[in-house]
Amino acid sequence: MATHALTPATSAYRSGLYEWITTTDHKKIGILYVVNSFIFFFLGGILALLVRTELAQPGIQFLHDEGVYNQLFTMHGSVMIFLFIIPMLVGFGNYVVPLQIGAPDMAFPRINALSFWMLPLGGILLFLGFVTGGAAFAGWTSYAPLSENRPLASAGHGEDLWIMGLTLIGTSSILGGINFLVTIFKMRAPGMTLFRMPILVWTVLVTSILQVLATPVLTSALIMLFIDRNYGGHFFDPASGGSAILWQNIFWFYSHPAVYIMVLPAMGMISEILPVFSRKPLFGYKAFVFATAGIGALGFSVWAHHMFTTGQVFLPFFSFMTFLIAVPTGVKMFNWVFTLWRGQLTLSTPLLFALGFLSMFLLGGINGAFSAAVPVDFALQDTYWVVAHLHYVLFGGSVFGVFAGFYYWFPKMTGRMLNESLGKLQFVLVFIGFNLTFFPMHQLGLAGMPRRIADYASNVGWNDLNLAATIGGFLIASSMIPFLWNVLVSLRGGEIAGDDPWEANTLEWATSSPPPPYNFDRLPEIRSERPLFDLRHGRSRGHAALPEPGPAPEPTH
Amino acid sequence: MPPCLSLARRLSQRTDERTIVTTPSGAITTGDPGHGVAEHNPVAGLAHDSRGGISNPILGMLLFICSEIMFFSGLFAAYFSVRASALTWPPVPPAVPPEIAEHFNLHAEPWFAFALTVVLVISSFTCQFGIWAIRRDDRTGFIRNIAVTLVLGIAFLIGQGYDYATLGFGLSDGVFGTTFYTLTGFHGAHVFGGVIMLSVVLYRGLAGQFSSRHHDAVEAMSLYWHFVDVVWIALFSTLYIL
Amino acid sequence: MHPLKHPRNAIFVGLIFVAIGVVYWALPYFGHFHLDYAGVTMLGILGIAMSLMFYVLIAGSSND
Repeated sequence: MATHALTPATSAYRSGLYEWITTTDHKKIGILYVVNSFIFFFLGGILALLVRTELAQPGIQFLHDEGVYNQLFTMHGSVMIFLFIIPMLVGFGNYVVPLQIGAPDMAFPRINALSFWMLPLGGILLFLGFVTGGAAFAGWTSYAPLSENRPLASAGHGEDLWIMGLTLIGTSSILGGINFLVTIFKMRAPGMTLFRMPILVWTVLVTSILQVLATPVLTSALIMLFIDRNYGGHFFDPASGGSAILWQNIFWFYSHPAVYIMVLPAMGMISEILPVFSRKPLFGYKAFVFATAGIGALGFSVWAHHMFTTGQVFLPFFSFMTFLIAVPTGVKMFNWVFTLWRGQLTLSTPLLFALGFLSMFLLGGINGAFSAAVPVDFALQDTYWVVAHLHYVLFGGSVFGVFAGFYYWFPKMTGRMLNESLGKLQFVLVFIGFNLTFFPMHQLGLAGMPRRIADYASNVGWNDLNLAATIGGFLIASSMIPFLWNVLVSLRGGEIAGDDPWEANTLEWATSSPPPPYNFDRLPEIRSERPLFDLRHGRSRGHAALPEPGPAPEPTH
Repeated sequence: MPPCLSLARRLSQRTDERTIVTTPSGAITTGDPGHGVAEHNPVAGLAHDSRGGISNPILGMLLFICSEIMFFSGLFAAYFSVRASALTWPPVPPAVPPEIAEHFNLHAEPWFAFALTVVLVISSFTCQFGIWAIRRDDRTGFIRNIAVTLVLGIAFLIGQGYDYATLGFGLSDGVFGTTFYTLTGFHGAHVFGGVIMLSVVLYRGLAGQFSSRHHDAVEAMSLYWHFVDVVWIALFSTLYIL
Repeated sequence: MHPLKHPRNAIFVGLIFVAIGVVYWALPYFGHFHLDYAGVTMLGILGIAMSLMFYVLIAGSSND
């Protein structure tokens, strides 16, 4: 009697592409998030280069319609914030968090896939504005009345498409946050108590709380704007009893917590990388956790420092609360620096980017604290100082963190190492380019150059600094060439990574690279926040003996 | 027995309602999730999973409700903000003709809306009776109560539609009309979502898919329905009484 | 269960925001500043939502 092996029915008809589109595996969805975010990063980068080219010299270079310039910086901001940084960090969280807590998958795998697929759809909606008579041009903050459908304001479909796209992206963010919260609170491996969770999991936890509670506020603001524009509503129309400042209030009630959504996971990634490459435990684990929670909590009560000059908010209250944020952030800075202090540093690419994060985020934090003082803010409101500040925090902070995390977890995602020389070349280029672009903007802001202008006078001394910033912008762009080349080459011929190339501490390095669909065959005993360290140094009884292997479990669908 | 369960076991726990409980001695036993570790839990009425705590779908729904609360907070913030800055409430901007403005009298005639409130509150009760029925495996009582809830929910929507048709002012009639229709309209949209959930639950109940062990979807749906009810009470108090 | 570990204590996390909202509502009276009802509403409701969230997260999480 002939026998033949039974193959699972699913593998018979699932091609590679079909598998990627229909997957509910958190690791594949995580990679989809990362790839999608990089695509939008490059699109947003092209928009930024167009903006910088226009500003290289006084006078109009090539954008003879200033409305197009407004569309470019609006879309640059929207894409980088909503389609690059937030989804990129969510993507890393998606990949790493279930592995780090020893879970087989996220709590709701199908909702996880849903939250991912809303993103490209939202991105397409945003970009559709360019082919339907002009994209949104009221800035990424979309202040009323500029964003209202009135003469001289944002007529046309671009703004409506922007609203719809952001609503979709926001819904994706809410669902993702719920998914992370349930995963972290319900799916931890036995022994993984809350205070043994890796720092990245803590930061993703706080980020998810912010996402679940803050994003719906943005949704309500967007819906009000949509009603105003399309159905004759009057929320933001003072002539009929509404209030234009109301938009700023509700928008920033989301968008200030969103600033922490954009940076907290990057802080978590740095906190995973620094201990590994300095061969020391993270200095002050619990202090770091409480600082993270403190930043999240304060993030909800400082929103109106974006609207000091409106005269509609209570200035001393928000100034005080804003200065308070420096305290938990300073605690974190001490944690990081003392983690490095007297460690055995290995200056490989992830650590270089992490150090870039530390130094640049420090500058971004300090120049932000200046603006927390009300009189200084009155002088610097809407100048290039603000542009410098937000780029030092979001690019110098989050994006450097993203690259650090990418170089750190790429071996786990693909099983192959990235090339160190190309990585260091990229770091040098991006570090110099970044500072050349954004440092002069401090001076431009102090000299009074307003943001969001397409042209400036040639006799006010802004020419050289603007040219330097443009050159820096192209230097940043050129740093993406070694990066992409590195990824392409390493995917095919990179050095084989093995399970744990960095001798790291957390659970994701206990499984194979890339991990199997169900993540773990067996878990080490978890007695601290560094289970693999305990395993290497004999503080754990090693891989727990399992009752019996049993049949391999089905991947969850 | 080591403290860590094998992955296969943990995976099976997620789908198997007859759950596996590890006792402190490490023995693996099958047990009723409502007892043992979760006994003193204040939310013991909700379905639990093996390791204590609320089951994943219900916890997910509760978190979604938290996020929905914040969605309505934005709308309420807009309402209170424009109401506080208005000289008189309701404000009558010059663009609104007086024959429309005379209909801005929600406080004078709250009775129809009060009837709708009663309908929704009763539906919350019948929904809860349905939950209690399915918890003790009384499928007939469960289906009856859910069907009544569904009918009351649809009645609320029809009543709201009738109210909109007879109010005499529209969405674009000053900020008063805008806030009224946006707040009640988005509540109505949530009721509509709840009606769809109720229909799905009723259909699945008729197909015999729920039992006292397996009814997470019903619990999640009822939590959402109660939330919608509470939002309406807040809306009614704010728009018609305050 | 130890009384301090009871999930209802998690509600105090949300009450922090209610307190911040009350301070934010009360302070402008002294300085004759503009009173921002939108912010007060959002902070207050945030406190409610946060209380509910932490209550269900703590009550609903797995036993370690």
